[in-house]
Amino acid sequence: MKNVKVLIGNYGSGKSELALNFAMQAAARGDRTELIDLDMVNTYFRLTERGKMVEQKEIRLVSPNYACSGIETLSLPAEVASAFVLEWDTVVFDVGGDDVGATALGRYHQDFVDLEPGSLEVLNVVNIRRPLSGTVEKLIRLQEGMQAHSRLQITGMINNANLATETSVEELRDGYKMLKEVSDRTGIPVAYTTGKKDLLEQFLAEGHDPKYIGKPIPIDVYMHRDWDSYIKYGLHTVDPQKNFKH
Amino acid sequence: MAKTLMKGSEAIAEAAIRAGARYFFGYPITPQTEIPEYMSARMFDPDVNGCFLQAESEVAAINMIYGAAGTGARAITSSSSPGISLKQEGISYCAGAMLPCVILNVMRGGPGLGNIQASQGDYFQAVKGGGNGDYHLLTYAPSSVQEAVDIMMFAYDKAEQYRIPVLFIADGIIAQMMEPVEMPEMVDFKIDPEKKPWACTGWKPGDDPEKRGVINSIYIDTESLSEHNAVLQAMYAEVTKNEQMWENYNCEGAEYIITAFGTVARIAKSAIDQLKAEGINVGLVRPITVWPFPYKAVADAVNADGVKAVLDVELNEGQMIEDVKIAVNGAKPIDFFGHCGSQMPTTDEIVAKIKSMKEGK
Repeated sequence: MKNVKVLIGNYGSGKSELALNFAMQAAARGDRTELIDLDMVNTYFRLTERGKMVEQKEIRLVSPNYACSGIETLSLPAEVASAFVLEWDTVVFDVGGDDVGATALGRYHQDFVDLEPGSLEVLNVVNIRRPLSGTVEKLIRLQEGMQAHSRLQITGMINNANLATETSVEELRDGYKMLKEVSDRTGIPVAYTTGKKDLLEQFLAEGHDPKYIGKPIPIDVYMHRDWDSYIKYGLHTVDPQKNFKH
Repeated sequence: MAKTLMKGSEAIAEAAIRAGARYFFGYPITPQTEIPEYMSARMFDPDVNGCFLQAESEVAAINMIYGAAGTGARAITSSSSPGISLKQEGISYCAGAMLPCVILNVMRGGPGLGNIQASQGDYFQAVKGGGNGDYHLLTYAPSSVQEAVDIMMFAYDKAEQYRIPVLFIADGIIAQMMEPVEMPEMVDFKIDPEKKPWACTGWKPGDDPEKRGVINSIYIDTESLSEHNAVLQAMYAEVTKNEQMWENYNCEGAEYIITAFGTVARIAKSAIDQLKAEGINVGLVRPITVWPFPYKAVADAVNADGVKAVLDVELNEGQMIEDVKIAVNGAKPIDFFGHCGSQMPTTDEIVAKIKSMKEGK
């Protein structure tokens, strides 16, 4: 049966990173895989920028119609239809952020409805370290908004708590606690917990309730800038003026 | 407080609010539209209770800043390169009327409409004029989201201390990338007429005529304009003396000195570490204020024993290099590496350039 994963979530929650990981892992298993970049909102740090890497792994990538990274007006490509009519084992949709981004899914409502029962996963990617995802109330409000705009029922949440290069196990732990509460209140299960392999293993060893972890999936970081590590030299968290030389 | 993962635009907007900004006027333009977007929601939160207004144009927005700053309030506008060009008349008026305010330029590729990717092509515009007349803006070039936040927290204090508009020039990457940020607490800012006797805070007939605030940049007779310019120049001299900021990285015993600002300086640090591992010692001087430019800091680093040459790296065709040349004053050769068209220079490119300089090419 075809597996269709639709990744929605707060702006900057890590949807593109997870979409790439899901697609790469599916392709590595030998799945016929299609990856659809449906991000109509953001024009920087886009999945499509990793196009060459994806194609080398024999993943079919469908991108919005644009000439190159950073064209302001994006439009939905006709090839999205291929997700529904062609034979795939795995299809991953990387959708734009928030309810605004999720709106793009409404266009395919009937196509999603017509999928074989059980083949569709609508996943809300949550990074509780993002300012608009920092409380249970905010998460629930955002989740409801995205469901309304996308005309899809969210089937599961993904705990993708991270602080980019500064992530520690504490992020996953805090994400676990918050998603547990959201899950108990909304009835939406935690489907996956994602993180770099070592952090994920540390987190799992702490013995939390598997019901609120879902399936743990170790991920690699693809959406990375090679000078990212230099963040530490740019940080002046104490008294900036004292740290600078006059 | 726990760190949050914030997009540069959001973090800069939130920092401005925490620094006391209660008036945002602007007009959308990529890659900084997330700043007005964030402001449009946040300004109406009960703990902020400020004003967000999408103006009909950039020209209108900067003149609204003129008005709001004229009352002593903390006001902010943001735009990207072509929009900042449109604001130049109003910026010159703010400088002339000595209005403290904050202007954000998230730079994109130019000239003209250019593109929407990151650029450092507005250096000249920021520090060599932009608008008409003899004026300067206190201009910061942050190289990380956190640094932009930290500078914002004192930007209004500096603006008010000297009565100078503050400009941030951040390449598009700073506004668009997400980084962990520690957000400072909200400052409790209120307009204090005692501290701002120049502000228009509501004089009415019968009040002390001496206390009537006048916001003005027109001085019709030659003597009064000269006097006014003398006041400005004395203030610029103070800012130049007190407010230069820069960062030195690995300058001790360096064979070459790189000069770079903003995101490019971070890429340069990667290159410096890579070169160090290969036995080539290279230092970096990163101006944080680009006006006032840290001439002495650059000269000190370059004139140190053992430094053979300077490499200036920018995301443009070579603009800051002119200030580097003034600083170095012919003492050492200066080479340039950069890209226009908004392609970020890479670590490998900088490494290769330094190696080719070493080989005497």
